[in-house]
Amino acid sequence: MISLYVVLLPVLIALLVLLGRSSAALVRGLAFLGGVGTFALSLFLAGSEGFQGAWLPRMGVNFSLDATGAGPVLVLVAALVMIPTLLVAATRVEQNAAGFVALLLLAQAGLNGIFLSKDLIVFYVFWEATLIPGLLLLGMFGGDKRRQAALKYLVYAVAGSMLMLVSILSLKALSGAASFHITELMIATPSLSAGVQTWLFVGMAIGMVVKLPLWPLHSWLIDLNEQNHPSGAADVLGSLYKVGAFGFFAWALPLLPAGAERVAPYLLALAAVTAVYGALAAISQQHLKRFLAYGSLSHMGIIGVGLFGLHLAGLSGAIYFLAAQMLSTGGLFLVAGMLYHRRRSFMLKDYGGLAKSAPAFAGVSLFLIFAYIGVPGLSNFPGEFMALLGAFQTSPWPAAFATLAVIAAGVYGVNLYQRLFQGPTTVPTSDLSALELYVLVPFIAGVLWLGISPAPQLRQIEQQAALVTIQLERAVDAADEVPTVTLAGLTGGEK
Amino acid sequence: MTFPPVLNIDWSALAPALALLVTAVVTLFFGLFHKDSRHVAVTALLGVVTAFFFALARFLEPSEQVASFGLRYYGDNLALAFTFVILLGTALAILVSYDQLKRQDLDRPEYYPLMLLSALGAVVMAASGDLVTLVLGLEIMSLPVYVLSAWRTSDRQSQEAGMKYFLLGAFGSAMLIYGMALLYGAGGTFVFEGLAQSLAAGEVTVLATLGGALVLVGLGFKASLAPFHQWAPDVYTGAPTPVVTFMSVVIKVGAFAALLRVVSTVFPLLAPWLPTALAIIVAATLVIGNLSALMQTGVKRILAYSAVAHAGYLGLALLAPDHGGVAAAEFYLTAYALMNVGAFAVLSLMTDANDRGDHLDRFAGLGRRRPWLAATLSIFLLSLGGIPPLAGFDGKILVFQAALDAGWYWLAVLGIITSVVALVYYFRIIAYMYFRESEYEPPAIRSTATNVAIVVALLGTLLLGFFPGLWHNLLDVGQTLIAGF
Repeated sequence: MISLYVVLLPVLIALLVLLGRSSAALVRGLAFLGGVGTFALSLFLAGSEGFQGAWLPRMGVNFSLDATGAGPVLVLVAALVMIPTLLVAATRVEQNAAGFVALLLLAQAGLNGIFLSKDLIVFYVFWEATLIPGLLLLGMFGGDKRRQAALKYLVYAVAGSMLMLVSILSLKALSGAASFHITELMIATPSLSAGVQTWLFVGMAIGMVVKLPLWPLHSWLIDLNEQNHPSGAADVLGSLYKVGAFGFFAWALPLLPAGAERVAPYLLALAAVTAVYGALAAISQQHLKRFLAYGSLSHMGIIGVGLFGLHLAGLSGAIYFLAAQMLSTGGLFLVAGMLYHRRRSFMLKDYGGLAKSAPAFAGVSLFLIFAYIGVPGLSNFPGEFMALLGAFQTSPWPAAFATLAVIAAGVYGVNLYQRLFQGPTTVPTSDLSALELYVLVPFIAGVLWLGISPAPQLRQIEQQAALVTIQLERAVDAADEVPTVTLAGLTGGEK
Repeated sequence: MTFPPVLNIDWSALAPALALLVTAVVTLFFGLFHKDSRHVAVTALLGVVTAFFFALARFLEPSEQVASFGLRYYGDNLALAFTFVILLGTALAILVSYDQLKRQDLDRPEYYPLMLLSALGAVVMAASGDLVTLVLGLEIMSLPVYVLSAWRTSDRQSQEAGMKYFLLGAFGSAMLIYGMALLYGAGGTFVFEGLAQSLAAGEVTVLATLGGALVLVGLGFKASLAPFHQWAPDVYTGAPTPVVTFMSVVIKVGAFAALLRVVSTVFPLLAPWLPTALAIIVAATLVIGNLSALMQTGVKRILAYSAVAHAGYLGLALLAPDHGGVAAAEFYLTAYALMNVGAFAVLSLMTDANDRGDHLDRFAGLGRRRPWLAATLSIFLLSLGGIPPLAGFDGKILVFQAALDAGWYWLAVLGIITSVVALVYYFRIIAYMYFRESEYEPPAIRSTATNVAIVVALLGTLLLGFFPGLWHNLLDVGQTLIAGF
């Protein structure tokens, strides 16, 4: 039932925030409560009992949430990131902070639904519903060009997800599955021919690539980050809502393995290009948020490489990296918001030499930048390493190409730190305030936690990754009998 | 072939329609002595509620007898489900009209009797088991709406709307009746079941197919399927908003209920190109409705073209009556009734006494000036656009799934792709409300009755969205459609 509560609690708090929007203190209190409450629930999420309820039973849709596999890990990390983000939203947004906080909470509920649902239609419901809070955050609180950015985001996301819906509905119609539950679908989809699977996979892939995102369907992300509210809180949500990789991992790859085998090489090439392109583009940016957006795009490319290498280590690494980048990218976006709070500018040329007047700020930022570029011992490293290692086993050339992005990451990381904190002092800046320190502490703790002790989370992710690889192997060797372990493992997760 | 006797009247099935008829007559007399139309409105609402309880009683205790007058008037679950939606739409439209009539100087007591009569016609159409009942229902439904469209006698645009609707409606009726005559010539009877049997016995004839095609065209006018939708935008813009609230729902339900009966009983026995022709009509409706809506700058016209587009989505269900399409259409119409009435009800609080002021610019900054109004309108628009977890989304996946199950892949894909366009124009209104600063002071119209209608529609949209199974599970009508006897 906890899997249901982590979806319901943020919604409930969001409604309370809207009702109490006239009192700033109440909004702050509720924001904190919502963040901490959801985090506390998600601590007990892994392995807890799932939830099943009828939704549209005659169409084969059941509202089923389940806390096995990678989902709870992502929910937990997202909940950790959301605590400081909600605090920033409640304190740094001048106009209509209640609306901002409520939209963040609604988006969090949607994200948790995406990560936990075990019914394909329910997954789609959360996937699509989460778009709206993000869109409203951009449109209501964004910068001067927010309307264009919002339209771009809407068109990319909706066009992609509608194609995904075609595939989802056809999946059941063509395979004759009894319901949209993952187990039933996995029993039925092997009967589809490789050609049909390829088409369905392509349909799903377009929707998921938009939200991964991969080059060339990424440009909405850059505009979104540039135009979002300067506090950076909405950008944190943006880094949580990169759910495309999870969509591939939990649905597209295991359901349509034969299609995946055919299409993955092309996606792998796109992902490798994205990784290098993002890293190179980041270095040439003048706008801090665009810089971070491109750097993050490069990370998503590496995640893609891990996924489409179709290897156990790569798959697990990719999802681990997906969780880890929430911390480093999210933290840096909030740092960007704190810088903006001091100088009212995101232009990198306006900064420099901040380390002299704000040494603690510089130290914390350097720590997060190190995490961002994948320094060993910090959060991004294990996932990045495994993703590339896994892809290397199956497709060495694209993986080798993507490794260039890791080298480039060192360059843009150092570049970013130099341009912000070193060099001639521009204007003396105040150091971190107590509140800002509190905001950044969860990120530091999370970065260390995921960096030093990756094993427990990786075990959970690997359970699910193993199922994906079993499905992929079955597709390659279709004559094999269905291993019963697969189905038992799917529902129980412990086998 | 043996028919049940003609005079086997099942009064419990007729009761909802009779309740509406009696109330219409009573309110007509009532209006003679009451200058204030609000009293009439309350009486009309009571009549609708009575009809609802009659329908509910019939639903809870279904009788053995499926139809009255020898299969000419059905009392099956299909008819009942549509009756519920019609009554819901009528009740909400009465609430929306309650304060608006006085404000917009449309306060004449004949308004509500005409509305009830039109609802009666739609109920009869939904229950019709033969072509004559269908035409009777269609005319009872249409004639009052022609008058209501021209209700703003001082306004040329409203006059034009009424006239245009009447002329095109008459044209549509003529087509329908001609088609009926041809079908009668081919099958020797007006009753759907009889037609189905006698057509099944012989070869497919040109006469019957032509008749079926003309019936499709005639009903297509009412359902606003392209290219027979031309009246819709002008009538929606010209007619008073409370009237549009009513007709956008009730006429559509009546037309689609009749289409479902005809399509599922007679069409399979006609030439195989007929479903393809219907598919092309549906495709045209989807494309024209959605693309035209994208071009509009008036919210009322956007909603008018969106009503055309929704006819297209419903058309998908028409093509798959044996694959869950019937229940999908019923669910879709219920959702559509709620969200569309909701959107028009909010709109009626935005327009001035002459129904002007629905330009998009007027909605700029509404999110800040009238937060609750803007939030509810956003929910209705997102639901119309098919965003989960709102009622419109559930309706959409049901019709798409039905179309896919029936093998209409290209049409389902087209429907899903045009949904992207739809979302853009619905979201445009939301973007005006939230992403722009206001240039106009929004009118401070307050109406408790309209608010009640909005709240009911909102709760319905959310409830149906979050728990679609509650309603969809009741729509178990697949068999009774064909198994008339």
